[in-house]
Amino acid sequence: MPPALQATGVIKRFPGVLANDHVDFTLAQGEIHALLGENGAGKSTLMNILYGLYQPDAGQISVNGQLVKIVSPHDAIARGIGMVHQHFMLVPPLTVTENIMLGQESLMGATKVFGRLAMLDRRTAAGRIRELSRQYGLAVDPDATVGDLPVGAQQRVEIIKALYRAAEILILDEPTAVLTPQEADELFVIMRGMVKQGKSIVFITHKLREVFAVADTISVMRAGAMVGSVKPAQATRELLAEMMVGRKVMLAIDKSDAHPGAVVLQTDGLQVLDDRRHVTVDGVSLTVRSGEILGVAGVQGNGQTELAEALTGLRRLAGGKMTLNDHDATRVTPRQLVEAGVGHVPEDRHKHGLVLAFPVRDNIVLCTYYRPPNSHGVALDYAAIERQAAELVRVFDVRTPSIHTTTAALSGGNQQKVIVARELSRMAGQGAAPDRRGAAPLLIASQPTRGLDVGSIEFIHRRIVEARDRGAAVLLISAELDEIMSLSDRIAVIYKGHILATVDAKTATREQLGLLMAGVAPAVTQPGHKEGGRG
Amino acid sequence: MANSDKTATPVNSMPRSSGQGRALLPIQRVVDLLRMPLLALATAFVLGAVVIFLTSGRLETVGEAYWGLLRGAFLKERGFSESLVAAIPYVFLSLGLAVGFKTGLFNIGVEGQFYMGAIAAAWAGQAIQGVPTIINLPLVLLAGALGGAIWAGIPGYLKAKTGAHEVISTMMMNYVAFRLTEFLISGPLRAQGAASTIQTPRISPGAELWALWDIPARLADPLNALGVGLVLGCLAWLIARAVSRRGQGSGVRGQAAGGKLQTASGDTQYAIRGTSFVVRHSSLIIAAAVALLAFLALPPLTRLWWPFTDRYDRLHLGLVLAVLAAVGVWWLLWKTTVGFELRTVGANPNAARYAGMSITRNVVLGMALSGALAGLAGTVEVVGVSICRCLPLFFSSGYGFDSIAIALLGRNNPFGILASAFLFGAMRNGADLMELSSGVSKYIISLIQALVLLFVAAPAVVRWLYRIKGAARADEAPLTRGWGG
Repeated sequence: MPPALQATGVIKRFPGVLANDHVDFTLAQGEIHALLGENGAGKSTLMNILYGLYQPDAGQISVNGQLVKIVSPHDAIARGIGMVHQHFMLVPPLTVTENIMLGQESLMGATKVFGRLAMLDRRTAAGRIRELSRQYGLAVDPDATVGDLPVGAQQRVEIIKALYRAAEILILDEPTAVLTPQEADELFVIMRGMVKQGKSIVFITHKLREVFAVADTISVMRAGAMVGSVKPAQATRELLAEMMVGRKVMLAIDKSDAHPGAVVLQTDGLQVLDDRRHVTVDGVSLTVRSGEILGVAGVQGNGQTELAEALTGLRRLAGGKMTLNDHDATRVTPRQLVEAGVGHVPEDRHKHGLVLAFPVRDNIVLCTYYRPPNSHGVALDYAAIERQAAELVRVFDVRTPSIHTTTAALSGGNQQKVIVARELSRMAGQGAAPDRRGAAPLLIASQPTRGLDVGSIEFIHRRIVEARDRGAAVLLISAELDEIMSLSDRIAVIYKGHILATVDAKTATREQLGLLMAGVAPAVTQPGHKEGGRG
Repeated sequence: MANSDKTATPVNSMPRSSGQGRALLPIQRVVDLLRMPLLALATAFVLGAVVIFLTSGRLETVGEAYWGLLRGAFLKERGFSESLVAAIPYVFLSLGLAVGFKTGLFNIGVEGQFYMGAIAAAWAGQAIQGVPTIINLPLVLLAGALGGAIWAGIPGYLKAKTGAHEVISTMMMNYVAFRLTEFLISGPLRAQGAASTIQTPRISPGAELWALWDIPARLADPLNALGVGLVLGCLAWLIARAVSRRGQGSGVRGQAAGGKLQTASGDTQYAIRGTSFVVRHSSLIIAAAVALLAFLALPPLTRLWWPFTDRYDRLHLGLVLAVLAAVGVWWLLWKTTVGFELRTVGANPNAARYAGMSITRNVVLGMALSGALAGLAGTVEVVGVSICRCLPLFFSSGYGFDSIAIALLGRNNPFGILASAFLFGAMRNGADLMELSSGVSKYIISLIQALVLLFVAAPAVVRWLYRIKGAARADEAPLTRGWGG
């Protein structure tokens, strides 16, 4: 049987970048083919070429053994290729049926004479959707409004949308990024079912665990080139990581036991409103001690953003109290936190963390520009700033042509390293910065490695653990369960703005945390962690 | 966004010390910087020529018109200096706009702030009497700057506190300013006893900004000479300090070149043949020397020889003020923490808040500075240019709106603004002779200026016309943000 989809010698250049360099890729009939690679490795470029969004500069593509030229997504769909993007292409106010029909509307026979003004035939479409939903085990209600559906269900709608257009080949771009571990497992069952019924699937991810859970074949890309393909049976996590990064990678962070000291950050019944004035953080009480990492686990959108903003003075508290090194910090401002030497790696590096239009140099002193040695009076001391920037760029291995390069020109990983370098270097008692007021340092890190490649993740993780070992208290907020489990000493699980439980990281299991993240409260709370209550 | 870094160009794979940044040759950087504005300008003139040809039907008219423009702007008697006179308010106004743009604010109300500055200066000029220039003039300049700063600060405060968009509120404030100045000129501030014209009283002689031809006569007064000496001394002190600071950065090179080392406190350490000695506070000594020299030598020297003799030449000391203002704005924006905050708030207010900066303070400050510069433009027009040395009713300017194009053409860079302001001043000045000599309406100049604005604001059009591939993204950062942004 000819392969479902084959690309040979694909080359794609963008100004200054060779995004795909003679890439060969073969998707066999009825297999789940995982495509691994760091950001910028060229996975998305390759898939966008196969889906007709880009035209390759050179190379051939064949579908079911037939040489083809895919000029547009429309063309790709006609050839049975469907793609589910990482960011859903759905219209929230429309129903599931309407969303799926969009672009391929079925019309009522009698009204077709009106051309574009013909009436929609929702019933036939809904029937077909129910059929697909049964056939592949994709539970959705055709009449539900998409905006009301949880993320997992929206993803199922996207998959049905592709199947509705008779896709035989499905490309799933990082489908698990928005799912809990349990939801991801459900998705894998569905994928298995689809393959059994003859579909072929390309599954893009950067999570090694998932690859072993579901893939039949694994291909790894690096720096625009295809490094190789292996069967899961012959692969190990270490081998795959090495293929992705090009060198040996420490997957498990080597960390010694925590030696918790004095309480640094304590919150009591925090209540925070979101922009629409809904209570999104409700009664969160946490304690972070010097020398330990407290991880806050949870599916995205359960109040983590608002919690982090409240803790760092960016959002006002609606209720509750907060103390920092035994001083009341309920109404703390960002500048006071800078003065107290609290480091903050913000969740959204483009929104809060960086001024992209500024050179790297200016972003390095974004929080400390106003005090010596960076300035004297109102006059900035660029000589001192540049010395410091050059030093941090070297120590934190920021890959930039120069400290004068616009930060927007750096890759995501290097942008994040700029932030981490700045925040860690100015934390009290951590290297350069003086130990102001004898305070124990605190680091609040929100999604510190979101969207980064394995190499950068390893680097940043190691820095965070180092900060802890030097006595910093670390509050780590992350939606990546792997990150939480490998870094934290204790893990608090947040669900709909409540901390459901706080557990010891050593004894916590993926299943236990997954259930908590899905909102299933534990039968027995572990003793000794009384801050786990609902406030 | 989790996905956003995928779209960024990865420089991961680049070797560390190549390509971008400082590595570019200086000449390439200059060419890069000037290319788009010059192309925009050239395109606008070409299209202007097309319009002249289409409306007149004769090809010669195009030549006559542009030749007339050139003669009017530079070649005719006092043409060049009149172009400079017209450029002076442009410089202040566009510097004001640039400060606003850098803070993420579109201060479309500079015209109104210009009027408020003018009326405040006219009031202060006639209210303060019998004080020497060295005190009087700075006070009047301060009054004018304050008038503009307050007028712009109000919309700034409203924006910071309520989110009212500054484009709307400053535009509204324009009309209030126009009517308010009309009322003040024809009512409370009207000159008593003046015959038919409605205007404010003449300002005191001490508040006048000297015309250049008038300087030798003015310096005859020892108080004035002292003032000039002090001002020059201050400037010399600033320059000496800046030079010695720069010396510190490359101390080793300095030693090799001149046997001279600078130390932190502004002292200069000389090393001659192994022995070294330190001159304490060298910048202060230089400043004092310059001041003394100017005080003693300038009056007799200018009496002996002075290049400006034409009593009808209106070029005035505002030219020096304009250049100083440009240097000052450059220093403020790029060399101080104040400017760092303003630019951060302008480029990414969220990051500014994260870094502990006050958005409210910076928005109000950005608007106030912007308005102060606009107010200074009105001030120099009253105390330096107006024939009556006062503010007449129906004092029309139209400078404010041109300045938007000038600031953009100058890329919000103070030195770019000096150049583009001179260009627009020349166009404004040459337009009359163009109309006279070719019969082409002088409003064609407005058309050309509008085209310049269009091409500068939409660089994609120019890039498409000349097939230039994508430029640095940062150059096209939004100048202002949407409602409530």
